[in-house]
Amino acid sequence: MAYEAVIGLEIHVQLNAATKLFCDCPNRPGDDPNRNICPVCLWLPGVAPQLSRTALEKGVLACLALNCTIQPESAFDQKVYYYPDLPKGYQLSQHHQPLARDGWVEIIDADNQLKRLRIHHIHLEEDVAKLVHETDGRTPISLVDFNRAGTPLIEIVSEPDMRSPHDAMAYVKTLRAQLRYTGCAECSLEQGTLRVDANISVRPRGSDQLNTKVEVKNMNSIRNVGDAIAYEIERQSACMEKGTPITLHTRLWDPDKRMTVPMRAKFEGPCIPDPSVARIVIDAPWLAEIKQRLPEMPAQKIARFIKDFGLTPDEAAAMTAEREWATLFEATSDHGLPPRKVANWISTRLIPVLRERRQSLQETRLSADRFAALLDLLEQGTINAQAAKEVLPQLLDSDDPPETIVARGGFAQVSAGDELEALVDRVIAQHPADVQDFRNGNPKVLGFLMGQAMKASGGKANPKRLKELLGTKLGAA
Amino acid sequence: MSQTHTQHTPAVPDNPAAGPLAGKRVAHQPNWSVRGHLCSAGCRALEGYRALEDATLIARLQTAGAVLANPAAMAELGFGLHGDTTVQPVAQGAADLALVNDTLGEARVAAAAHGMFGFKPSYGRVSRCGMIDLVPSMACPGFIAAGPQAILDALAAVAGPDPADVAMPDDCREIPFDARPSDTDPLQNAGVIIQSLASLDGTARRAFEAALARLAAAGVAVQEIDLPDYPLFRDTHQVIAAVEASSSAGKFDGVRYGYRAPTAKHWNEMYLETRKSAFGPLLKALLFQGAYLQFDNYAAFEQAARLRRRLVDALAGHLKKVDLLVMPTRNPATDAATATTIAAIYDAFAYTLPANLAGLPALHLPGPQTTDAQDPGLQLIGRRLDDTRLLALGVRMADFEKEGR
Repeated sequence: MAYEAVIGLEIHVQLNAATKLFCDCPNRPGDDPNRNICPVCLWLPGVAPQLSRTALEKGVLACLALNCTIQPESAFDQKVYYYPDLPKGYQLSQHHQPLARDGWVEIIDADNQLKRLRIHHIHLEEDVAKLVHETDGRTPISLVDFNRAGTPLIEIVSEPDMRSPHDAMAYVKTLRAQLRYTGCAECSLEQGTLRVDANISVRPRGSDQLNTKVEVKNMNSIRNVGDAIAYEIERQSACMEKGTPITLHTRLWDPDKRMTVPMRAKFEGPCIPDPSVARIVIDAPWLAEIKQRLPEMPAQKIARFIKDFGLTPDEAAAMTAEREWATLFEATSDHGLPPRKVANWISTRLIPVLRERRQSLQETRLSADRFAALLDLLEQGTINAQAAKEVLPQLLDSDDPPETIVARGGFAQVSAGDELEALVDRVIAQHPADVQDFRNGNPKVLGFLMGQAMKASGGKANPKRLKELLGTKLGAA
Repeated sequence: MSQTHTQHTPAVPDNPAAGPLAGKRVAHQPNWSVRGHLCSAGCRALEGYRALEDATLIARLQTAGAVLANPAAMAELGFGLHGDTTVQPVAQGAADLALVNDTLGEARVAAAAHGMFGFKPSYGRVSRCGMIDLVPSMACPGFIAAGPQAILDALAAVAGPDPADVAMPDDCREIPFDARPSDTDPLQNAGVIIQSLASLDGTARRAFEAALARLAAAGVAVQEIDLPDYPLFRDTHQVIAAVEASSSAGKFDGVRYGYRAPTAKHWNEMYLETRKSAFGPLLKALLFQGAYLQFDNYAAFEQAARLRRRLVDALAGHLKKVDLLVMPTRNPATDAATATTIAAIYDAFAYTLPANLAGLPALHLPGPQTTDAQDPGLQLIGRRLDDTRLLALGVRMADFEKEGR
């Protein structure tokens, strides 16, 4: 029998507000343990939590970026569970009245079709503390670091609209890109600022029933999200085939064994309204003000880049994957450079360098003006592509104009006729056998001789002029 | 502590001796945060805990010149009055005011037992910041004094919005508190909830009718009010209180402060042992009930929340027709001071808990025989935020009775 998967994702995203959700402690979980704490986030008796306006603004902006309807009123509940990472016994979360409902994102599915995936709701909640288990001594001890306790999160709960690992991965990528565009979250699976839990069930293809689902946690990359879901679909389909009942429970993805393993029965703590936390009432003028801050989203940008800059859909998608890349692309192209060439340089030269250095654009010194100046030098023939590639990393580390770096490093292209001619003559003289081979009819040797000439120029020869000259000399001799 | 943490405690003024409560002695329970002082709320789970900040109420009292007495003994987390000694200094003339955590009606019932005036303000009128409680949607500071004017004076000093207590209901921010009673608009019409009288025996009933006669003599027209849902108050309060207590008492775990079990093999055992010995039998029974409702019968909690809304609306509906509602304060057949089971507690506070459930102001007035064990007392329940007019009526009646004696 053919089966299809029904997949819903619950995604926690850490908002990058400067403070925690209910107090003015810095939102820096990575600092020395228990440095960023106060009576509120330690939840000492008698404390009165105060909601951070910045966290709320960022949460609302995130909801708007995901096309949700902001609710005029929302409220916090005590979500009860007992675990040492939550020593007050409950997490403040919005169960009964979430911040936003009814959102969506659009993805391209595995059949290359546009598909809309619905978001059921998004709610605000506080993160819990972090446990550190020390097992070295005679008595193992568990330590609690409250730096993370109370940091602001949103939880994005999708409808079960996804049908494949591809859908789920595309959903996470799209959602991540849109949230990053707002600047309200870093959304790194690797660093845990975006955490994905997947609810997966299977059913006979064509059926509309919703079968018992299994929750899968611990996927710290988009690839792992896809692999874990694929594994779980296969496992559950095999259970269905064998008639083994599927029970509601939580499983962990083991990234080394590439499989899911049972963790525990699925636990849903009760949620009790908390009158000690202020209700959130959002009025129209305030919401309108936040909406003003919503930037153009990737899908709109892609359409505009195709129309206004003549990019292909793939190029436009590449340029809009991160807001900072899109901004750089537009600003650089505005200097009168050919947009497709700019896009190509960003995709094939700049982004790989950033990835290698594990840096965002913001973390470098590169500006659109200096990037445009570099590409302009290339366009004008002052430097060749190889030189430009070598100059680029230096632009990331200093504020020097590209012209200065080119002059200092001697990157300027050699185009002068006599200089190149002497170079070509030398190469021909040094490789008589290869020259003879070419003249006997082997055209591939031209490439080798070009390489030798370029090498002899230190990579600075104007490749067009060099090729012309070499062709002329070999033909004329 | 975080370097950027902001202390919310306002500074004590330069000259509290000139404040409106200068020299007034205030007895209080150890559930009010007083910076640097032990604050156990009568519960072993908070053993040794010292408050890091002043509660807003405490800071405002001190700003007004009041002097705090040493904390009294109190029932565990202020649920009931077993073992509570807060009212005694006021009854003995050693204090001018007592602050009592009022979850079920503790201030009014304690006042009734000692011939004092007891008052619970509208929920949210007085900041809860720095108050340790068990049932956050119902608990609020209660006031006990020998006369209603002392309560009104205290309220004038402490009531009103608190930037540190942002969960105050909106109406408390929108309608400013004014402690000056209006001369032109006194409370004139009272409604007696007839269902509330069913459990009084003959003696108590006659005492209550005598109290109604005093009310009428003071110029308040009294009529009967029919509230068929009245019996639902008790169970609704109990279900919501148990669930809220079970959830909010989760924070008393021995990890960051308070009592921790001395030996345990692992954290799970530490939790179990700590919680096993940190709470008394009454509280454990309440927490068990709450845990059952939370985890195994959540529908009952949701039903209670819906009933609460219905009861709040019913009281508000009647309070559109009359200025105030009238009930006994206590059933003389019960004794809050010795009630140590949930059933006995709810028997003892059956008349006072409706005001807590509905967030309404309520005032207990002692009878002329102030310590008569058979006197159920007279409880006046006002419209929401009508605290001042209710206390003004108390002042009027006290004056009237003084003149009559």
